[in-house]
Amino acid sequence: MSDELKRIHPYLPTLLTQLQAGKVDRREFLRTSTLLGLSAAAAYGLAGCDEKKEEQQQSSSESTSTAATTTQTATAPAENVIRVGMRVPALDNPATFSWVYDSNIVRQCNDYLTRTGVDNVTRPWLLEKWEASADLKTWTLILKKGIKWSNGDELKADDVIWNLKHWLDETVGSSVVGLMKGYLLTDYDTGQKDDAGNPKMGTKLWADNAIEKVDDYTIRLNCKEAQLAVPEHLFHYPALILHPSENGKWGVNSIGTGAFTCTEIEVGKKAVVKRRDGYWGNKAAVDSIEFIDLGDDPAASVSALASKQIHGLYEASTSQYAALQKMDHINLYQVSTGQTAVARMQPIHDTWKDPRVRKAMRLAIDTEKVLQVAHLGLGSAGEHHHVCPIHPEYAKLDFMKQDIEGAKKLLADAGLPNGFETDIFCKKDPDWEPQAVQAMAEMWKQIGVSVKINVLPSSQYWEIWNKETAPFAFTTWTHRPLGVMVLGLAYRSNVPWNESFYSNPDFDSTLTKAEGILDVEERRKVMADLEKIMQEDGPIVQPLWRAVFTGFDKRVKGFQIHPTYYLFCEEWSLTA
Amino acid sequence: MASFFAKRLGYLLLTMLVVSFAIYMISEFTPGDVARKVLGPFATQRQVELLTEQMGLNRPVVVRYVEWVGKILTGDLGYSTVYKTEVNNIIWNRLGNTLVLASIAFAVIVPMSILLGVASGMRESSRLDRSISLFSIVTTSVPEFASGVFLTTIFAIGIGILPGTSTLDRGGGWSIASQLVLPVAVMVLYDLGYVVRMVRASMIEVMTRPYIRTAVLKGLSFRDVILKHALRNAMIAPFTVILLQINYLVTGVVVVEAVFAYPGFGRMMLEAALSQDIAVIEAGALFSVLVAVVTQIVGDFGYMLLNPRIRFS
Repeated sequence: MSDELKRIHPYLPTLLTQLQAGKVDRREFLRTSTLLGLSAAAAYGLAGCDEKKEEQQQSSSESTSTAATTTQTATAPAENVIRVGMRVPALDNPATFSWVYDSNIVRQCNDYLTRTGVDNVTRPWLLEKWEASADLKTWTLILKKGIKWSNGDELKADDVIWNLKHWLDETVGSSVVGLMKGYLLTDYDTGQKDDAGNPKMGTKLWADNAIEKVDDYTIRLNCKEAQLAVPEHLFHYPALILHPSENGKWGVNSIGTGAFTCTEIEVGKKAVVKRRDGYWGNKAAVDSIEFIDLGDDPAASVSALASKQIHGLYEASTSQYAALQKMDHINLYQVSTGQTAVARMQPIHDTWKDPRVRKAMRLAIDTEKVLQVAHLGLGSAGEHHHVCPIHPEYAKLDFMKQDIEGAKKLLADAGLPNGFETDIFCKKDPDWEPQAVQAMAEMWKQIGVSVKINVLPSSQYWEIWNKETAPFAFTTWTHRPLGVMVLGLAYRSNVPWNESFYSNPDFDSTLTKAEGILDVEERRKVMADLEKIMQEDGPIVQPLWRAVFTGFDKRVKGFQIHPTYYLFCEEWSLTA
Repeated sequence: MASFFAKRLGYLLLTMLVVSFAIYMISEFTPGDVARKVLGPFATQRQVELLTEQMGLNRPVVVRYVEWVGKILTGDLGYSTVYKTEVNNIIWNRLGNTLVLASIAFAVIVPMSILLGVASGMRESSRLDRSISLFSIVTTSVPEFASGVFLTTIFAIGIGILPGTSTLDRGGGWSIASQLVLPVAVMVLYDLGYVVRMVRASMIEVMTRPYIRTAVLKGLSFRDVILKHALRNAMIAPFTVILLQINYLVTGVVVVEAVFAYPGFGRMMLEAALSQDIAVIEAGALFSVLVAVVTQIVGDFGYMLLNPRIRFS
């Protein structure tokens, strides 16, 4: 057994020993072992649990409903259609999707290589399994055999390679670039100059064999640097596997590997996917899924649910929570997530240069209170380091409590005994965001810092979120399965999404170290250092972690709320 | 007559030209660039630059304005960054939906407001007048978003006889007709009171005229006095006001369409404005101005027909 495990990955026997010794919990074992290429069935077997049962337990423990999710469908109703209230955006270019809901319709028809479940465990999906080298620089992706596209072609390594190269092509404009740049791409001088006369830089694959075809079912990624989270990256919402013949475009009747085929899209109104024959996985129980666009007014979605025009909502807001609770035919689903928002300060500006000022801003906040005021207490209080308690490598530090006197003293030490005035930018919706900012602004007043709030419409906010023109701003971050992933995306020097322009060589090197450690116990020790740096020196004030929730008709079975709101409609069924 | 129309047409073209220039310049100088809006917030700067070049956005603004006007004249309304399609593919469909809503509302508002206004104005301060006036003032002063929520709470959530939203989708077993009831009701309630008050005021004024007194003294029945003598004259002033309601109904239904998730022109404009979809905003604004100017011309023309005194001036 041990030898067999060793062949898949040298670290697996150690991990198994740790599980048996109780050093890692079962969930962590499942996550890491599947991450290292063990097939899900084998991993669940070793962990001594049944995969299906585990998932069900997960969903019933995390949703407020109990019995409903586990009972199976008896008879399908005459009209076997499930309607979901969700924005219907333009879907023609999946690689450039900006939001999760963009991908929700396409996901029913096309698949990802991997899938992160509602339990935060990433499993192979179109892949049979993956294998990582000990140094985490070589990743071998092995496809399931016999998966057919809806046009009858078989899914082969060439299709996947085409997709990988498509995402990483700089002219395409995919955000996958931001994730994979560090280990697959390199900067080069395009030869052009910008207005200021500086050379314009482009990106290309760092080596010719960075993406290598081994055989028809095997792809190898030869990375520039060690990367732990490749499987998670392959589940990034734009990373949908499309048929190369359509050249990156997607629409009605596009070729897919999924359980459904899209038959209708009307942007801003409605999209329909219908079940298709020949799907490689379990056949979907419903005939079709309709996505109905109800606009941004939260009242409209509630009315539509009340009059049963839709069966469920993609996402519910705090302003809808009470109304949803009151509807008898609706189940409320809730899950704790790594979704959050942070007030980030750019140390490149004079106001935020001094780490003592940044820490004072953190100490002024009673995060538990902000959670109550802004998010109905749904979620958990923030600890100002952007590593979430549900991240496997989360290290528990002493909780950073509100400390007005301590904050005032820090400000005085920094030469600002009377505080200062500043502006913060934030988005208008969802409404918990400006509410959280307002609550924090009141608390900052107590240490003499007067903060003027500039509320912008979302689209305008996203224009400036990572610009120097917004020295102080409140940005939402979505859930990501690993702590190192978040920190690497948002706080490493000079990465595209480093909105706070934070640059700390100490932090960078410690992060690189953490990213190269497979052993969660070991990684957690390094993580503690990273979290400490964030709390002492870091650029953010983080008020809360959100629990997300939504409502679905009790007739819909098999729905599970995903921390990032991904919908997997082939798991759903409808009772009469 | 011909010169009247020629003048009006010239006025229309001039207005459109001025407005188009203003709209283009305003949208041009709003913060953020078009390529960034197409690609979304997470694209890199390099990607934005590539698209800017591709779309030719780095050329002078005047050149692009002239080009834009040329395209509009040939029927090309540009490319929407939100709907990722030609504006032509979306705007007509949305206008059609709004037109359905607006015409039903208009067809209810006009006869009802004339009826109520005349009934109210023919005997000022009567009990009937008092109750109609009270009704009009109350309904007009409740904003649409509030009456929308009230009506939905009563009829969709409470009694459950009408659907809560009007997505023009038959899903859930609600007919299209049933979906139109609530939005039309909200628009009628909001708009009716205003028009009723206009008709009433005009009617009251006409009823004090000497020729009405003469007619009454001649021994005509009250019914004939109202129908044959008062009505036509009482309609002259409210006529323009009624035509202006077309403006409101087509371009001012943003709130109703958002509350009921109705896929119409107003919601399209709202979403375009929120996400700065310039091509849609420009085309929609031009259309709104067109509606305003055309209804004004029709108004002037109708006014002439109703009032012989200004017919030849």
